[in-house]
Amino acid sequence: MNRLLTYLFRVALAAILAFITLPLVVVFAASFSPTSAVTLLPSEWTLKWYAALWDRRWLDPFLLSVELAVIVSLASGLLGVLGAYSVAYAKCPGHTAIMAFLLSPMSVPQIVKGVAIVLLLSSAGLYDLLGTPGLVMAHVILTLPYVVRMAATAMFGFDKRLDRAARILGASVAQRIRYVLLPLIRAGLFSGMTFAFIISFNNIPLSVFLVRPGQTTLPITVINHLEYSLDPVLAAVNVASLIFILGAIVLFEKIGGFSAQIHGGSK
Amino acid sequence: MTTIDIELLSVSKQFGSSHIVDDISLAIPKGKFVSILGPSGCGKTTTLNMIAGFEAPSSGLIRIRGRDQTGVPPEARKIGLVFQNYALFPHMTVAQNVGFGLRMQGRRREDIAEGVSRALKSVHLEGFEDRYPKALSGGQQQRVAVARAIAPSPSVLLLDEPLSNLDLKLRETMRVELKEIQEDLGMTFVYVTHDQEEAMAMSDRIIVMQGGVVAQEGSPADIYGRPRTSFVADFIGKSNILPISAVAEPDRSLRVYVGAAKVAMKAVAVNNLAPENARFCCIRPEAVRLADAAGALDEPVNRMTGTVQKVVNLGAYLEAWMLIDGDIILKSMIRSTRIDKLTAGCRVELAVAHSAVQLLEQ
Repeated sequence: MNRLLTYLFRVALAAILAFITLPLVVVFAASFSPTSAVTLLPSEWTLKWYAALWDRRWLDPFLLSVELAVIVSLASGLLGVLGAYSVAYAKCPGHTAIMAFLLSPMSVPQIVKGVAIVLLLSSAGLYDLLGTPGLVMAHVILTLPYVVRMAATAMFGFDKRLDRAARILGASVAQRIRYVLLPLIRAGLFSGMTFAFIISFNNIPLSVFLVRPGQTTLPITVINHLEYSLDPVLAAVNVASLIFILGAIVLFEKIGGFSAQIHGGSK
Repeated sequence: MTTIDIELLSVSKQFGSSHIVDDISLAIPKGKFVSILGPSGCGKTTTLNMIAGFEAPSSGLIRIRGRDQTGVPPEARKIGLVFQNYALFPHMTVAQNVGFGLRMQGRRREDIAEGVSRALKSVHLEGFEDRYPKALSGGQQQRVAVARAIAPSPSVLLLDEPLSNLDLKLRETMRVELKEIQEDLGMTFVYVTHDQEEAMAMSDRIIVMQGGVVAQEGSPADIYGRPRTSFVADFIGKSNILPISAVAEPDRSLRVYVGAAKVAMKAVAVNNLAPENARFCCIRPEAVRLADAAGALDEPVNRMTGTVQKVVNLGAYLEAWMLIDGDIILKSMIRSTRIDKLTAGCRVELAVAHSAVQLLEQ
């Protein structure tokens, strides 16, 4: 009976994993297909779509997206730590209400947010903010709740007796934050920043309102291209972005060490 | 004249309408091992937190090294504190933990390294510098916590029940070691505990707290030998506490009538207690002797006949419950070699020295 259950679990697990990865397998296969038709098992293999990526048409949007994601994850990391500190750690007056407010952007549909931001900018006559500055602001609004949430969770779990111990040893408030609090919430903070990076890099619904013509982010460029043709260069773009994001996650993990926290590991 | 390191003048702490600490005054002499002893909720931890600066007194004054500490934050008080749960920094090695205080003072790297090795040496933890706290046993973590607190050489070290998370054997070893460390460094130790044995074993002075006030203060021998109230007599060591009425005799000795049966005994007054104010008396179990063994005593004794009710074998000693005049029960500690004399139901002659019957206020 027990063995039967184990067997069923394994089958279910395999089915779920297959469900998640199959679309990726199709994309992966298509990116090596010589013909424009998307097929699961192409008769020949080619790298010409990847070669086609080495072009300003794809490189410029990619670099813009990377620039955005880096700025957005750093900015929301900084703001998120400040927010989480006053809300979850220092427990400023009205901290529960402020926490709810900081998390509220999560519950507004992105399209609504995008329209709202465009209306705001145009009614204020701030057309110059379209492009990178507007994108950064909009993305930070979107990603801040994730960073606040992760950093606040880490701070809730922080043993305040450590702060007392540092205090009685003569550490000022700045020293306590730098040497005790930040190192101990680093994992939570970096996992929040990783979310921010990925969300910003992949974002379409907000970016679509805020990009300048001819200066689009990578996902917007993909959408635009899709209007005219469905060819394997898009599959190549997807595979390349996927690899880039995996690389970014590995990098964040190296700096932040958050998988130890997620898996309950040592340190 | 001894210098006073810490002084509390009429210090009170209220939370809402409840008085956690109620108008206590203390003077803790420099270089002494002083314990604040009491059951949980007696206000001892709040007192410690006020000395450390984590809580401000509702009224009263705290002086450290002669200076008023009102408004002085903990980080500026230059005192050490050992926490009950150790509170070691988990992301730092032993050396980084121990060196933290010196580093915060902005000392040079060599000074920090020297301070760390000196502190680790005094807690016998050389060679553990590069370990993380997680890789240490409870006892080792405790030592690191002590080393971290003494490394910046504070004049005062506060210890908040530091041994309560250790097992009994280790606790007994650490008692001896803490006392040695204190004597070596000549530092003032203020040790908060609910464990009377710990306080007795280490302290030069014990402050017994109860319900936010100081119940009694004195040397361990004072507190044990001359308890003032039934609370202190009961909390420190074992004792027989019996209701009495006391009368002063013309020859200035004291006669007490114990229990409902009014068993008459001679007693002595301690702590200048007037007999009419005495409500109870305390007789330590080791002071209840078998009359034939007490023959060697060269002080006057009360003699009485008791019936053995039950005997509990504690190894080196027997705890025997003696029923006197069918009314009062005296617990006694008797050497195990006398086990043949003591069986339930048999009658024995007992002797209790006059000086062992002590009057208590309440």
